[in-house]
Amino acid sequence: MNSPIPVPATPRTPTDWNSPAMQNRIRRRYAAERRFKALGLVSILVSAAFLAFLLITMVGNGARGFTQTEIRLPVDFARSTLMLDPAALKGFGADAALAGADIEGVTAAAADAAFGDGGARLLSDGAWLSVREAIKERPEVLQGKADIWVPAATSVDLAAKGDGDAAGEAAYARLKAANAVQTGINLTFLTKADSTDPTLVGIWGALKGSLVTMFVTLILAFPIGVLSALYLEEYAPRNRWTDLIEVSINNLAAVPSIIFGLLGLAVFLNFMHLPRSAPLVGGLTLALMTMPVIVIAGRNAIKSVPPSIRDAALGIGASRVQVVFHHVLPLALPGILTGTIIGMARALGETAPLLMIGMRAFLASPPGGITDPATVLPVQIFLWSDEVSRGFVEKTSAAIIVLLVFLLAMNGLAIYLRNRFERRW
Amino acid sequence: MNDHTLNDIAAHQPAATEGTLKMAARNVNVFYGAKQAIRDVSIDVTQENVTAFIGPSGCGKSTFLRTLNRMNDTVASARVEGQITLDGEDIYSPSMDVVQLRARVGMVFQKPNPFPKSIYENVAYGPRIHGLAAAKADMDQIVEKSLKRAGLWEEVKDRLTDSGTALSGGQQQRLCIARAIAVDPEVILMDEPCSALDPIATAKIEELIHELRGRYAIVIVTHNMQQAARVSQRTAFFHLGTLVEYGDTSEIFTNPRETRTKDYITGRYG
Ligand SMILES: Nc1ncnc2c1ncn2[C@@H]1O[C@H](COP(=O)(O)OP(=O)(O)OP(=O)(O)O)[C@@H](O)[C@H]1O
Ligand SMILES: [Mg+2]
Repeated sequence: MNSPIPVPATPRTPTDWNSPAMQNRIRRRYAAERRFKALGLVSILVSAAFLAFLLITMVGNGARGFTQTEIRLPVDFARSTLMLDPAALKGFGADAALAGADIEGVTAAAADAAFGDGGARLLSDGAWLSVREAIKERPEVLQGKADIWVPAATSVDLAAKGDGDAAGEAAYARLKAANAVQTGINLTFLTKADSTDPTLVGIWGALKGSLVTMFVTLILAFPIGVLSALYLEEYAPRNRWTDLIEVSINNLAAVPSIIFGLLGLAVFLNFMHLPRSAPLVGGLTLALMTMPVIVIAGRNAIKSVPPSIRDAALGIGASRVQVVFHHVLPLALPGILTGTIIGMARALGETAPLLMIGMRAFLASPPGGITDPATVLPVQIFLWSDEVSRGFVEKTSAAIIVLLVFLLAMNGLAIYLRNRFERRW
Repeated sequence: MNDHTLNDIAAHQPAATEGTLKMAARNVNVFYGAKQAIRDVSIDVTQENVTAFIGPSGCGKSTFLRTLNRMNDTVASARVEGQITLDGEDIYSPSMDVVQLRARVGMVFQKPNPFPKSIYENVAYGPRIHGLAAAKADMDQIVEKSLKRAGLWEEVKDRLTDSGTALSGGQQQRLCIARAIAVDPEVILMDEPCSALDPIATAKIEELIHELRGRYAIVIVTHNMQQAARVSQRTAFFHLGTLVEYGDTSEIFTNPRETRTKDYITGRYG
């Protein structure tokens, strides 16, 4: 304190900031920065281009999947061979009465009458279903003539959308001239399940299957994952066992999903005898896959809560559980939720493990509960893309759009939750 | 640092009183794994006097302070030997509830660490978890009283719902003190509470310690000799994990018995 500050013995030579070597270094530094910026820009552009390509082709192909061409079919019920008593169509007996009637034949006959020989081929195979619906809704049509809008056959439908073959184009032109055709929103697609006829398929069955499966996954994976993360971070002592668990969880997150499918098949179906093809089993299998992701994201989020907050709470006499649930968990929640949704989004897009446990069955009706047979969006896409009929191409793209919208909604939710709960200090 | 000013400051302190014994440590050893951080320290903390811990960095002041409310329990490798009592009760005995102990022996940390919640919530949290307020009105009263005692009320009374983290560093530290006294502790431990603060905020906190003296037994760790001289009546000098000298502040600063103490407070090493 009292000794003088020592002075260096030799005076230092001043740095020459203008020397050629120095100038050279500066130039190289600027060049490196420019290079890095350009590289970054190029990679962003490349990924944006891929994304744009994907979206544009999907929307271009898939938008048509959401519309359906319909044909106005005049049916003369009074003269038809249909022996139906309008009175029998009121109340509970209706379905039984309709089941016995030859509506298919009447529909085909009406088409032939209206559009000439072969007219029935202009209609979808399921056109008679629309006729049946019409009868059911308004039994009084049976007394006279009625115009009923029925789905067009695939060839006409494609022609209406500008993608048909010669025969289809000709038929479409004829119908158009007769003012008997229109293209509108395809409600069937949004409300029905799978079908063998592309004009009658719906995505709702698979969408509902996905929703129910995701629900099972979330209910299982979220609490287990979050509690594991909390325990490992806040309670578990650091020793060989916890190290082992940590390594195992990290490895589990990297295991290919098909392995989880095999595991689900072996454990849930063959050993526990849970129902095949059910969202319950699909959810269990995907939960196995999602849980490690949640644990890892959760631990990182919990780790990033400053220790000073824990000290502060402990210092005024909060118990460990109070520290965790009053302070650590609320502060870690945005990170945990983001991780959870990323894990769920991955699970939503999984196909392979669900094929293993039989969620690829052909199902003409949406699942009623978690133990009913069901399929999910990606599997439905996989199945439709395998179909030979041309009508399935646009349906496949439309299903992909539905899946992407679902994914975007989930990611949007993740961003919303993160901003909503994020606290800064 | 000038010896004369230190002497002057120490001489102007209210003299240390005999005091009633609040906490007593006997032959305390603390280990981090195999490394011993505290060696055989015995010390008495009295109700009426402010006790200052001084000593060079790494000598174990924080470590020892944290044994007094068992905050070392949270460090997995830490092990405490010896006996520490609060009102004659062994705080390391199995029958001692550590949560209650920390409510009775509060702590203020070196870095202000308010919860990222409102100012009101920061102060109300302790009383709430300990069930000290029956109704909202009681809680309002506790919050107001604590903030007033911490000298922060006038500055924040109109913005109690603002985040505690939006305050300045000095205000945050006073908020942390308000939070500590809201649970009405018997002892307050302060670990370098002013090290992150400017002289004005420091002066406010020191004033606060004067006002709190007597109501709470206070232990303060500080690197600032003048501060130790200004706020404390008893001073303990630690060096390399041992307690070198413990006595009245006026004695320690004017007439230290040990040369190590003298060297340290005159700034010759440390
Ligand atoms: N969590 C820990 N694990 C292992 N060693 C520790 C731990 N905390 C402190 N130590 C060691 O114990 C000794 C005393 O540390 P302590 O923090 O008590 O010092 P201090 O007197 O408070 O120092 P400072 O004035 O710099 O705050 C130091 O040698 C330190 O390295
Ligand atoms: Mg310290």
